[in-house]
Amino acid sequence: MPTAIAKPTLMALVAMSLLAAVIGGLLRAGIAWPALPDAAVIGQAAVAHAALMMCGFLGTVIAIERAVAIKRRSAFVAPAVSGLAGALMLGGHAEIAGWLWSFAGLVFVGVNVAVVMRQTAPHTVLLLAGALAWLIGNLAFAVGASGVAVLPWWFAFLVLTIAAERLEMTRLMRRHPVAQPSLHAILIAMVVAAGLSAADAAFGGLLYGAALAALAAWLGIFDIARRTALSHGLSRYMALCLLCGYAWLGIAGVAWAAMSLGLPTRDLALHALGLGFVFSMVMGHAPVILPAVARVKLLFGPWFYAPLALLHGSLVLRLLGGLADADLRTAGTYLNALALALFVMTVIGSAAAWRLREAAVRIHLTTSR
Amino acid sequence: MKPFPYAGPPELREPIVQALTRVVDPEVAMSIVDVGLVYGVTVTDHAAHVRVTMTSAACPVADLILEEVENELDRVLPQGCRLDVELCWEPAWTPEMMSERGKLFMGW
Repeated sequence: MPTAIAKPTLMALVAMSLLAAVIGGLLRAGIAWPALPDAAVIGQAAVAHAALMMCGFLGTVIAIERAVAIKRRSAFVAPAVSGLAGALMLGGHAEIAGWLWSFAGLVFVGVNVAVVMRQTAPHTVLLLAGALAWLIGNLAFAVGASGVAVLPWWFAFLVLTIAAERLEMTRLMRRHPVAQPSLHAILIAMVVAAGLSAADAAFGGLLYGAALAALAAWLGIFDIARRTALSHGLSRYMALCLLCGYAWLGIAGVAWAAMSLGLPTRDLALHALGLGFVFSMVMGHAPVILPAVARVKLLFGPWFYAPLALLHGSLVLRLLGGLADADLRTAGTYLNALALALFVMTVIGSAAAWRLREAAVRIHLTTSR
Repeated sequence: MKPFPYAGPPELREPIVQALTRVVDPEVAMSIVDVGLVYGVTVTDHAAHVRVTMTSAACPVADLILEEVENELDRVLPQGCRLDVELCWEPAWTPEMMSERGKLFMGW
C-alpha cells in the first residue's frame, strides 16, 4: 500500500481503537452514551475495552514507534496488523482479532530481536522481553483465556517497555551498583507473577502487585525525572508526567495485591496502572513522539498541563474517592474520558499553533529581506 | 575541553558548536553536545560532514534530532556548503562521553 494511503489509514485505526476503548470504558462504568448510532458496535466497545486499549491503541502505537526507530518497512507489518485487529475486534470478531494480534506480536518480537542485534544492551533486551510479554498475552487472549490470565501479560508488556526506556535514561546518571540488578529482580518477579496468575490468582496477584510497587520505588529513587523536573519547559513537563505516573504505579501495586486477596480494588488496580501510570507516560512523551512518528510538529506550552491536571485530578476522584462513594467513581470516570479528549484537542491545537507560528516566521523573513 | 573533534576553518568552529548546542533532547533536558552525541564535525571547502549517535538503537526521535541538526547547521554554514549528517552506532555511546556540564547536571 502506498505510504500516502497507509499512514492515514493506520492513524485512523489507532484513533478508532482509542475512541472505542474510551466509549467502552464509560459504558462499563455505567455511564449511558447519549447517542447510539450502532448499538451492537457500542456494546462491543464495552466488551472489548481492555483489548482495544492495550492492543488496538497502545500495542499499535508502540509497534509504530519501534518501526520508526528501526527504519525498516517490514517492521510496519506489526502495527498494521495490530491496527486491523482492533477494527475486527470492534466488529465482534474476537477470535480472528486475537490471532492477528498474536501474529503482530510475533512480528514485533522479530523487530525487537533486530534492535538487540543492532545494540545489545540491558534496555534493548528488556524491550524484547516486553515484546514477548505482548505475544504471550495475545496468544492467551486468542485461545480464550480469562482476563486474570491475559491482563498481567498485557500490562507486563507496557511496564517492561516503559522500564526499559527509563533504564536507558538512568545511564546518564552515576548509577548505584544495585540499580540494575534490583530492577532485573523486580521485573523477573513481575513476569513470573504474570505466568503464575493463571494458575494461582491469589499468589500470582500478590507477587505481581508487590513487583509493581517495588518498581515504583525503583523509579522514584533511580530515574532521572527527579533531576529533569528541576529544568524548564517541555523537559519539566515530561518529568512531572513521569513522577505522577510513578505515584500511581505504586498505588496500583498495592491495589493489585489487595485485589488478589479479595478486596474490592479491581478498578483502582487496573486504572491506576493503565490511566495513572501508562497514560501519564503517553501524555508526557506525545509532544516528542508524535513529531517523530506522525511528522506533525507541536508547539509546546503551559496548556499541556491542563489535560495532565485533569487526568490526575479525575483519577483521585474516581479511584480514591470512588472507594467510598460510587457517585464519585462515576464522576471521576467521566472526567477521565474528558481528560483524554482534552489532551487530543490540546495536541491538535498545538499542531495548528506550530503551523501558524512557522507561517508567521516565513512571512517575517520574506518581508524583512 | 573541546566538546567534539572538529576539523575545518577555525572561524566556523564556535558557530557550529553553538548551533549544535541549540539541539536539545527534551527527555534529558540537555543539548546533544552535552549528552556527547556529536562524534565529530569536518568542514571542507564545499561540504560539512557531521557524525551523530543516539543513546539507544530503539530511539524513535533519531530522525527528528538529525533534522534539527541540519536546520541549525544550515543557519551557520556558508551558502552553498553541502551538509551531510551521518547517524553512526560505532563506537557505542557511553556515559563517559557526556560533557563536564552534562555530568554536573546529572549529579556526577
